[in-house]
Amino acid sequence: MTEPNLDLLVPAYVREFEPYIPSKPDPELQRLYGCDRLYRLNNNENPLGPPPGAQEVIRGFHPPRGAVYPSGDSYYLRREIAVRHGIDPDQIVVGNGANEVIAFVIKAFCGPGDNIITADKTFAVYEWVAVFSGIEARVVPLKEERFDDREMLQRIDNATKVIFLCNPNNPTGTYWSRDTLKAVLDEVGGRQIVVVDEAYFEYVEADDYPDGISLIKDYPNLVVFRTFSKMYGIAGLRIGYLAGDIKVVDMIRRTCVVYSVNGLAQEAALACLRDETGHIRRTRELVREGKAFLCAEMSAMGLPVIVGEGNYLIVKLKGSDTLAYRKLMHEGIMIRPMTGFRYPNHIRVTLAKMDAMEAFVAALKKILA
Amino acid sequence: MPVATHCVETAAKAFGLGRDESLKLSLATEEIFSYLSSNVCRGESVDIRCVNGLSYVRVEFRFSVSALDMGALNIAASVTCDNDDDMPEMGLAIASRTIDRLNIMAERQNRVCLAIEKDKDYPSVPETPLPPAVVKGLLTAETPDTEGVKIYVTRVNQGPPDPLRPPFFQYPGKVADMVAAGDCQIVTAVDARGECAGGVLFRFRTARIVEVFGPHVFCPAREGEIADMLLTACIARIARTKAIGIVNLTGMPLSVRGQYELLGSLKYSGDDGKSFVRSWYYRLLHEDPGYLVFTDAILKEYLEGEFKRLFLAREIRDVHDQGEIKEVASIFSTEMLREGSTAVLSPLWPGADLDDNVKRHLRFLKDEAINNIFFNLDLGIYWHASLMRVLIDNNCRPALIIPFGAQADMLIFQYDRTEP
Repeated sequence: MTEPNLDLLVPAYVREFEPYIPSKPDPELQRLYGCDRLYRLNNNENPLGPPPGAQEVIRGFHPPRGAVYPSGDSYYLRREIAVRHGIDPDQIVVGNGANEVIAFVIKAFCGPGDNIITADKTFAVYEWVAVFSGIEARVVPLKEERFDDREMLQRIDNATKVIFLCNPNNPTGTYWSRDTLKAVLDEVGGRQIVVVDEAYFEYVEADDYPDGISLIKDYPNLVVFRTFSKMYGIAGLRIGYLAGDIKVVDMIRRTCVVYSVNGLAQEAALACLRDETGHIRRTRELVREGKAFLCAEMSAMGLPVIVGEGNYLIVKLKGSDTLAYRKLMHEGIMIRPMTGFRYPNHIRVTLAKMDAMEAFVAALKKILA
Repeated sequence: MPVATHCVETAAKAFGLGRDESLKLSLATEEIFSYLSSNVCRGESVDIRCVNGLSYVRVEFRFSVSALDMGALNIAASVTCDNDDDMPEMGLAIASRTIDRLNIMAERQNRVCLAIEKDKDYPSVPETPLPPAVVKGLLTAETPDTEGVKIYVTRVNQGPPDPLRPPFFQYPGKVADMVAAGDCQIVTAVDARGECAGGVLFRFRTARIVEVFGPHVFCPAREGEIADMLLTACIARIARTKAIGIVNLTGMPLSVRGQYELLGSLKYSGDDGKSFVRSWYYRLLHEDPGYLVFTDAILKEYLEGEFKRLFLAREIRDVHDQGEIKEVASIFSTEMLREGSTAVLSPLWPGADLDDNVKRHLRFLKDEAINNIFFNLDLGIYWHASLMRVLIDNNCRPALIIPFGAQADMLIFQYDRTEP
């Protein structure tokens, strides 16, 4: 049997890309690290899980329905989202998690020689998808932990097709206000697509934080991402969406593979949107409590924090974050080391229930002692 | 043969190698081509490619090899294990003497790449020293231009002598060419007037490990700030590359040592006969997902201890020889670094002759006056474990583990020259 010549078959930008290695399943990690329980504080998951209605949908999924294809374009979910935002269902594309819609956008707008602009210390997937698609990713350093609007605008040239903003930023929690976002959109003037990733939208309580979807009617080059993985707690079902101007979304839809979103995820997402039990309020209360507790504890330990919006904060350590990860794993605590976010010696911690927060603080004290 | 040697000599001159160096490269090509044609891939084609590395010229020989002839790829192929026998001259050994580096690598589809490199000559650091750096105000980390590279290298040389510093630091022009060729990167810390307060040089040592030199600080009063800024900038540049870890062997200020983990030490013998110890500091860039590694029972306790010390999650599995059939001839890849008198051996193919092959290589390298001999084993490849006992029996000791230095972790054995 002749092996394929991968050096010839695979483009250099794919060959040179280092694939992301996801964590092993919890039981495997517990076995390898020798811990009998694991607090997951690494992925900004909601420890409360999905709202009760979505939990009911998941419990009630009738097994024979596993044989039936889902709605190929998430028909009912798009209608529900559209009604809630006062837009047309065709302004929405639902994807297998927000990660998939990132790929949709880059495929729709970027070709050889084009570039995208984002920040250096932000969600890595914008940069990854661009790089392994052969598109240049221009990463602009954060300024005082926030996206640097002036510098990002400076980096635009004729080959720039998409600007990615994570708002609020993962991992720093900083955000552009409504005025800042509108000023940038005015300056861009429709020459580029501006993507605003609002994965943590529901966590933000600041008054000047913009609702990106409400700006689409004034800025047809604006595309907004939302996810059901964070606040709504169905990360395991993989579902997110984008919204934009109808003509822009019509172009994006051409790069989508339909049927990528499973039926259970669509139904659970619908139930999330219809929740009236106070799921968002409960989660925000939990985050507030965890944030106040960790800030006080880190301050007492002399460890600086970077904290803003979202259900996470960053702690600056005196030594290696990846070593801290390994030591904490042996204590049954999984955090996110920040070297991969270009924040060496920092760790990101998900704000969770108090038992997890207390366990994290105790473990951190132990490994730093 | 004339085509091959003429092609290499002409290319070497065109790429800027001097007359003597071009001739040596051409002679090495002649030896290798002749050896390959008669011993390794008789009647088959050999692709020869000359690469302009700017600071060196590289000649690559690519060919397919049948299992029967693979043993001839060992650099010590014709050396006997018996110390009383005369060692016959053979092509690869002769070739290795006239060039600076030789490396044999297995590639996809049973292809092998044998590469030789010859360095260009460069003028050393000017004797007139630069005035001391006067640094004021805020500093920024930036990628220097060619002149900035040369100033950084010159200032490194004006600092205290360091026997562990690689020789290329003596040649600012060479480092400038290395940067231009993409063989290394440099970040410098500069003030508003462009005065260089320090710098750090880094390069890929293996496919996934980056070696960091420095940070070198030229403004001692601000050492902590400058070193931290440079190391952070260095890590930021490699954080989203293929690199999975960084090692530092030289030039690291005390202020950033806490950001590294001590892997262990290797003892080196210099060309002058003096020996020195080099500590290896390491920093993982990613989460440790946990791995399965293989060992001979003789090293299980050692590995358990090291993995515990380094907080690495490893499942250690014993490998036993249970009489299964093996290929006759094993193959070791050899990386000969004449500068530094170093040879690094890595097993490429298992065989029933492991002990004899290790003995042949050790004898050959000692006869070649190579002072520092290392064996790199990949703990993720089960049959590498069968070399552990063989190496220990031949006076090699496990010296340190580089996490993710190979397919899994790399275990480095060092040959103990004090053997009886």
